[in-house]
Amino acid sequence: MTRAEHGVRPTEHILEELPERSSFDVVVVGAGPNGLITAAYLARAGLRVAVVERRQEIGGGLSTEETLFPGHYTNPHAFYHMMTDYMPVLSDFDLPAHGLFFVKPNAQTAAVFADGTSLMLCNHIEDTKDSIAKVSSRDATTMGKVMRTWRRIVEEIIAPGTYLPALSPIDMTEALDRTETGREVLRLAEMSPVEIVDELFTDDRVRALVLYVACMWGLDPTETGLGFMVPLMVDRAMSKAQCYGGSHKLAGALSREIHRHGGLVIDNAEVTRILVDGGRASGVECFDGRVLEAKAVVSSLAPPLTFGRLIDPPEVPADLREAADLWEWDKWSFFTLSLVSKEAPRYRCDDPWVDDALMVLVGFDSSESVLDHFAELSAGSIGAHLGGHASIETRYDPTLSRVPGHHVSFLQVHAPYDVRDGWEVRAEEIGGQLMSLWAESCHNLGKANVVMRAVETPVDIERRLASMVRGSIKHGDYNPLQMGSFRPHDSCAAGRSPIEGLYLCGASSYPGGLVIGGPGYIAAASIAEDLGARRWWAPPAFVRRYAESYLP
Amino acid sequence: MRDERFDVVIVGGGHNGTTIAAYLAKCGLSTCILEARPECGGGQENTEVRPGFRIDPHATYLYGGAAPGFDQLELWKYGMRMVYYPSMAGIATLDGQAANLGSRWRPDIGEESIGRVSPGDLAGPGRIFDQLGEAATRELLRALFWTPPYPEGTEVDPVDMPWWQVFRKHLPNLWSEELVSMSYLDFLDNFVQWEPLKVLDAFAAWYCGAHPAWDGMLMQSIGGMLLLTYASGAPRGGMHTYAHAIIRCALAHGARILTNAPVGEIIVRDGRAVGVRLAEDAAFGEKTIWADKAVISGVDVQQTFLRLIGRSHLDPSFVQRVSDISLKGGSLFVMSVICRELPRYHGREDAFPEEIYPSCVVAPADSLEWFRDQTREAYSHRRPPKMAPEQLTMMICTHDPYDSTRCPDGYHVLSPIYLEMPPPEYDVTGPEGVNRQKSEITSGALALLERLAPNMTGANIVDVFVNTPQDSEFRNAGMVGGNWYGVRHSEDQWFANRPIPELGRYRTPIEGLYLCNQTSHPGGLCLMAVPYNLMHVLIEDGIAEPGGWWYPSPYYVPGGGPARVEAV
Repeated sequence: MTRAEHGVRPTEHILEELPERSSFDVVVVGAGPNGLITAAYLARAGLRVAVVERRQEIGGGLSTEETLFPGHYTNPHAFYHMMTDYMPVLSDFDLPAHGLFFVKPNAQTAAVFADGTSLMLCNHIEDTKDSIAKVSSRDATTMGKVMRTWRRIVEEIIAPGTYLPALSPIDMTEALDRTETGREVLRLAEMSPVEIVDELFTDDRVRALVLYVACMWGLDPTETGLGFMVPLMVDRAMSKAQCYGGSHKLAGALSREIHRHGGLVIDNAEVTRILVDGGRASGVECFDGRVLEAKAVVSSLAPPLTFGRLIDPPEVPADLREAADLWEWDKWSFFTLSLVSKEAPRYRCDDPWVDDALMVLVGFDSSESVLDHFAELSAGSIGAHLGGHASIETRYDPTLSRVPGHHVSFLQVHAPYDVRDGWEVRAEEIGGQLMSLWAESCHNLGKANVVMRAVETPVDIERRLASMVRGSIKHGDYNPLQMGSFRPHDSCAAGRSPIEGLYLCGASSYPGGLVIGGPGYIAAASIAEDLGARRWWAPPAFVRRYAESYLP
Repeated sequence: MRDERFDVVIVGGGHNGTTIAAYLAKCGLSTCILEARPECGGGQENTEVRPGFRIDPHATYLYGGAAPGFDQLELWKYGMRMVYYPSMAGIATLDGQAANLGSRWRPDIGEESIGRVSPGDLAGPGRIFDQLGEAATRELLRALFWTPPYPEGTEVDPVDMPWWQVFRKHLPNLWSEELVSMSYLDFLDNFVQWEPLKVLDAFAAWYCGAHPAWDGMLMQSIGGMLLLTYASGAPRGGMHTYAHAIIRCALAHGARILTNAPVGEIIVRDGRAVGVRLAEDAAFGEKTIWADKAVISGVDVQQTFLRLIGRSHLDPSFVQRVSDISLKGGSLFVMSVICRELPRYHGREDAFPEEIYPSCVVAPADSLEWFRDQTREAYSHRRPPKMAPEQLTMMICTHDPYDSTRCPDGYHVLSPIYLEMPPPEYDVTGPEGVNRQKSEITSGALALLERLAPNMTGANIVDVFVNTPQDSEFRNAGMVGGNWYGVRHSEDQWFANRPIPELGRYRTPIEGLYLCNQTSHPGGLCLMAVPYNLMHVLIEDGIAEPGGWWYPSPYYVPGGGPARVEAV
């Protein structure tokens, strides 16, 4: 309970309510994408499942909110989906047949430059090459060749690895050493993103675009160890899909599967304790005192919350407790300027197709400007090297505006959580700077066209989704010590924790965040096995092929 | 794309559409809801306009506590939880008077407060809940709201209407035949002494039930307030969680819900509704959806016939009657204010301590004449009230003192703040009339709030959000007029006359098409009452066959029943 509440507890109830104590097979803490995925698989496996959510709306990062009131919606967190061509949950539950559609346009990620040129990564490789050939024929050819390798890396190794438990570093090296594709992954892992980009491309605008999309979701451009993520991030920057009707529809579809199979989702019910008796997790207690007992408790929260706040300290193994204390939140968070306009933004550049791109980078003219941008962030500052990614959300999902003729767009930039003078003071200033930056890149973002605007700071992100501590959209930094089998800790494998009956399924677990659905899928399999429930789903073909080629 | 076919297709996933879907899915029927917006719930909405801050753009309190639906649909199984408030209502005036009326859970607060300012009003007939008690109140409310209208042509003496039967039984000393034709203002003039209390009662009657000026609607004016008193609280987290419980109940029984799926047309073949066609931009592949047993319209009566059915299936006399249904009386100008401190009303800073802060304050409650003036401006002159802004009566609601889920620590949300406005459809300055004056009306209301409570300065106010009646129409396609009850809750449009006599039993001239929207009896307030009443008719027509969990209204008169109804 966050504040003193003075509501009365009447002696007679005028209507029956959820009881003070109830009992389930599985209780999931947090109704984000992974919590919902775990719950949906287990409910359909015949287990009695409850999902307990702090907010009124489920979905976590799968949120669609009326941030431009009245009548205009945005997807303030996951505004596109990067793994729709792989996520097993979509096909296992046949979600498209139930009205869940993803729009994956060819025009994917563009960048506009001050000299009036532009580049665009398209879903079709040849279209991408056409765009790059404007500035460098050599880079266009390189892009064509390298994407053949990188797409194979994603298809053969990284995508399947997303939906299987993590291998230890030694096992991983052994597995990858079996094929040429695998050995390329090992080679890239030892390189930093900037080294990879510099090795391949010559034109600095191409380098800027590729480096930004490689690092925008949390890789440090100069750090080695996670270079194998670059092929994934670049390939996915060409495979983005928007959920028609808003990202929240995916949450709604998963919730429907939970309810259809006898499960329960309870909202406005912040969990304040995970109950552990005699070394075994036995349920949760909510802020209003309601207790939900369970054979398995599944937390989608990061270690500092699960192990540092919700469980009595003596019940947490010492090494895990220490790891929770040392957990590093995301390196940076985000600041977003959203606006409603009568005309959709039109960019000043040499290619009108850019206006159709799902995402447009503005503010970067060289790889150095991208490096300066990330360096400034790492120093905890913002403003000197502003640049970011913009999107016209209503371009591929007109349902986001209820007012005829209005368009909803945003420009998002990376931002530190702690800024000088605090976000309450700085929000308007940074919002104004972003508006100028955006307006300079466009023909038509003058006052007459803009109907209303709103800004969201890293503090706002944490306020909406408290699990994103310090605005950490991935529940924790992507660095070599918090990735692979170390995510969240090497004592937690395949979603199991050292505390009996306690499982982990969130973005802080392997393989990570960004609505890829891996942690929830992996945890569901472990819990089904441990509770003896029917494992009704089979791994998809791309996962089976990987297991046959790479796993002993 | 495969053929989409259901027993029942429901147009609109607002409160009534989702509730009838839950009822019918529980009867084992295959049911599909088509909702235009991204989220079901309609007026049961809590929009998070700023991260962590939720406002109530429409419905705000639980009025439906006496609904049979809570146990028939077992909403507790789907997470239904309540927060009950020690104080529901307060009064503040510009000249520094204040009263805290407490709630049914803490009658001592009101007794102490009213005892100080107007002892004569303590035990008067104005305080009907105290005299009835819980069981009789529920009986009265169910007679008023959870009773299907009598079949067309049924003869009944007005004094034998179900609610007057209950009234006579439990309040024989108060009963007189004159009550039947009175307006609530007549009643207040006769029975309430303190002017600010009259203003509160009159204003509350408007936003809870029938406008106090309407003749013959005394019981509906009082009934709306009794509904509010009966529960004296709100669902935990706000009205949208109540919608979640209903939606989850429907899903658990197998209902299908398609959102972002606006309906363009109800398909009629040989005079019978057989399905719907979705609008082209609907987020679903197959745009034609067939209904084997019934199409139920959860949208308002005018859009149902004039837009979705169309004149090619209707005669001109019927079209005129539907066009003439009055929308006036419930159009709301809704403000939501995020602030750091709750209003401290001037002259009586001690009146509302935080632990018993009234959840809604009617202010300024100085003069009943001001409220009459607003009504006249809005409905007779059909324009935003032109009187001095300090004479606008407002209702200022807040929930967060009793429900911490509404906003972060250190803040408060005043939402909704209601003002009375003409519906855009009638505004003589054009449908955008109120929208053109949006900032003027807002700053006038904020200046008034600061006069009432001097701490409500710019420094205390973090943000202000407004939805005008026209904004509400855009946001919720079914909320014509931005009106909380759809069409006027007046005697001409109540019970078997609602919305017009030939539609009073939820059936329509189109076979297989039924109405399930607040434009049918008993109107708005998210009572689960329209669907409960409609269930009687669907059972009669052989469409729904509920199990042992179902019980009908004791006042239910079956079709083909007696031509004349006496007291039960």
